[in-house]
Amino acid sequence: MGNYLIRRVLRTLLVLVGISVVVFAFVRSIPGDPATALLGERATPQASAALREQLGLNKPWFINYRDPANLLDAQYPRYVGQLVQGDLGSGIKSNIPVRDELLSRFPATAELSLAALLFALAIGLPAGIIAALRRNSAWDNLATTVSLVGVSMPVFWLGLLLSYFFAVRLGWLPPSARLGNETVLEPITGFYVLDGLLRGQPAAAWDALRHLILPAVALGSIPLAIIARLTRSSLLEVLGQDYVRTARAKGLAGRTVTLKHALRNALLPVVTVIGLQAGALLGGAVLTETIFSWPGLGSWVYEAISQRDYPVIQGGVIFAALVVSVMNLLVDLSYAALDPRIQYR
Amino acid sequence: MKKLLLTALLAALPSAGAATLVFGANGDPVSLEPGNITDGISILVQRQIYDTLVDFKNGTTDLAPGLATAWRSNANATQWTFTLRRNVRFHDGTPMNADAVVFNLGRWWDKAHPYGFRDQGRTFEIVGELLGGYKGDATAVIKNIVKVNDYTVRVDLNKSSSVFPNVIAAGYFGIASPTAIRKEGAKYGTPASKPIGTGPFIFQTWRTGDRVTLLPNKLYWGEKAKVDQLVVRAIKEPSQRLNELKAGTIDFANDLTPDALKSVQADRNLVAVKRPSFNVGFVSLNNRKEQLKNDKVRMAISMAINKKAIADAFWNGLGTSNASFLPPVLAWANSKNVPADYKFDPQAAKQMLSEAGFPNGFTLDLWYMPVSRPYFPTPKPIAEAIAADLSAIGIKVNLKTEDWAKYLEDRNKEPGFDMYMIGWTGDYGDPDNFYSAYYGANASDDINWNPPQLQRLLEQGRAAVSQADKAKVYGQIHEITYNANYRIPVVHSQPLAASRSYVKGWIPSPLGSEAFNTISVTGKR
Repeated sequence: MGNYLIRRVLRTLLVLVGISVVVFAFVRSIPGDPATALLGERATPQASAALREQLGLNKPWFINYRDPANLLDAQYPRYVGQLVQGDLGSGIKSNIPVRDELLSRFPATAELSLAALLFALAIGLPAGIIAALRRNSAWDNLATTVSLVGVSMPVFWLGLLLSYFFAVRLGWLPPSARLGNETVLEPITGFYVLDGLLRGQPAAAWDALRHLILPAVALGSIPLAIIARLTRSSLLEVLGQDYVRTARAKGLAGRTVTLKHALRNALLPVVTVIGLQAGALLGGAVLTETIFSWPGLGSWVYEAISQRDYPVIQGGVIFAALVVSVMNLLVDLSYAALDPRIQYR
Repeated sequence: MKKLLLTALLAALPSAGAATLVFGANGDPVSLEPGNITDGISILVQRQIYDTLVDFKNGTTDLAPGLATAWRSNANATQWTFTLRRNVRFHDGTPMNADAVVFNLGRWWDKAHPYGFRDQGRTFEIVGELLGGYKGDATAVIKNIVKVNDYTVRVDLNKSSSVFPNVIAAGYFGIASPTAIRKEGAKYGTPASKPIGTGPFIFQTWRTGDRVTLLPNKLYWGEKAKVDQLVVRAIKEPSQRLNELKAGTIDFANDLTPDALKSVQADRNLVAVKRPSFNVGFVSLNNRKEQLKNDKVRMAISMAINKKAIADAFWNGLGTSNASFLPPVLAWANSKNVPADYKFDPQAAKQMLSEAGFPNGFTLDLWYMPVSRPYFPTPKPIAEAIAADLSAIGIKVNLKTEDWAKYLEDRNKEPGFDMYMIGWTGDYGDPDNFYSAYYGANASDDINWNPPQLQRLLEQGRAAVSQADKAKVYGQIHEITYNANYRIPVVHSQPLAASRSYVKGWIPSPLGSEAFNTISVTGKR
């Protein structure tokens, strides 16, 4: 187990190095560079050339073979040099250190993703289970239809619809942002609901929670549908297995069989999907964050891409890769807890 | 349960507190450091914190005293002297004086200035754009910056410029506290710092991606703010800004889409606010394309495009069309010999195309922008309308687009685009700002047409001191560019803004941002 962990960590590091190379080459091979993007309509060739030189973008990418005296003066060696010191550089346009911005934006995305996942699980799992147990009933049809709609509804549209209906028409919930205008909350963890409680400001926590609901529902709709469908089909399959029939034949109560034997096995693939969905949520929050003015990682990196803000894109992608790697590791480890047949070597 | 939840939700609605004014901006500021940034949202927030040396009269592009109470030039406009306002203090309590002004101008213009932080990524690119370059550059407008006495600053120029005060009045050039910049170092202007100006509002906090909070400056030298707090929120999605306005969670907002006008007008609680137009959306024709070298072809294209119909269809009455590159507020610089409207006459255009030797027309690429801009809020349908107009005279149009950054780069790369959409929003109230961006020494190289005669006239325009002299020069430029038909103005749009009905005293500037110290919110719930 310890051995396995070490190998996994090393492999993750290798993956991160690989990703840094790929993202570095990739962002620089997209046509149009920060100089043009930042100058916008003002981008005359002279102006972009001057800015490019000032930003060091005229240097070679990887190795400066043309100039042996300054072999490592190229962009990538310099970046890696900074990176090993924990410095991700600063945003080209904003001059804000990428690390600082990551640390302030990540909790927002994590809070939203977590809330979306909880929402998806809280509705998706029971819906899937009920649908499987009452196969072909009205419940089943309803769950199947709703989950189909959930998967096919564009998040963008759903978000605007939710906001319009619940905020503008009914006035129940705020249309966007993380906190109301009157709420003052000094963050600790960056999870505002939690911070409100930790600071002893229940009103702020409640305000944060109210702001969280609509974006979490919008973001959670697709994983909800996926989880419901997968739970249903997985449970149906398990219920048809011999050992379930055997258990029943041995006279175990239907409830015990379903919950203890069948469900536990049926959840195995669901856990994988939850893990993958959690990763996807972190990366897929872009649209939701944009619609709901949620100051998270997704909207930040998205903007950086359109502005070709290289350090921000690189830092964001490498960080996201790190988070997804860690999530995958956790999913793999949780297997062992669920399925004794799996062993780590 | 449901009822309980509902009651709980309703009870949680924020109670009426101090008068907070909340603005919905279309994004987050990039930096709050003056001189180093050009995006509209940064400038809008900076406008609240900083004063500029020279200001604009509310709602116009006419100059008004700012931190300088008076300014005058020598006879040939190569030396400008600014008399500073006395007894003005920065928000940190330090005095605003000649040293402070020289410090600010110096760090923008002098690449070797110890507080310019060039080595840490500062570019001050706008100085290169609007003032020709930096200290020592052959093209730089500024030659020297001199403190005459504690309340007088003189700026020596390399060449005559009557527009220098206009340029320095642009929102980019807020005067910041030198003490604060020395203290914060290269951090100045980022969310980790405290930007310090002399303006009507004092910076309080900035949560990136979310909001900037400001408090009124009780010691402001000018009109004091009428609210207890100003919040500028970043709400990127225009439909969400409208939602927030309708829900009452923001008080006023910029940059709504033209099609939101009906929805705003239908809401009793909202008031539509039309910002005076200060932009131009146009199509450029490239002289490298064989057919477009022909004067008659270009004229035919101009005559075939029904600009009025396009403005009416896509701007909902928030756009006007005329035959000038300049927005209506600069109409004094238009030539009397040019008709107010472009002629729309497809019949004559077809005839002209035949005379030019293309009775069966030809094929042309029309590039439209992939992004929405105030001057072209919905580029694709507008491009389709233009294409339809051109096909009516036999010109077959291929519509093309690509990613914005690539678009901006490719248009300047040979061979460029045959015909493409672009626009310009003004920085300060002078025709030079519009024409110089597209003609003359610092212009785009997108259409391969930039006659020396135009460059000479532009130099003359910058040097002309009286408005009458300027009108004469820019009138000539107007005639030349109008007759050449290389850049065909399609629209001058009025960006749509809106406010809750209790918001009083908002005077939108044509330049896109204004100080919010004139606004009151009496009656806000």
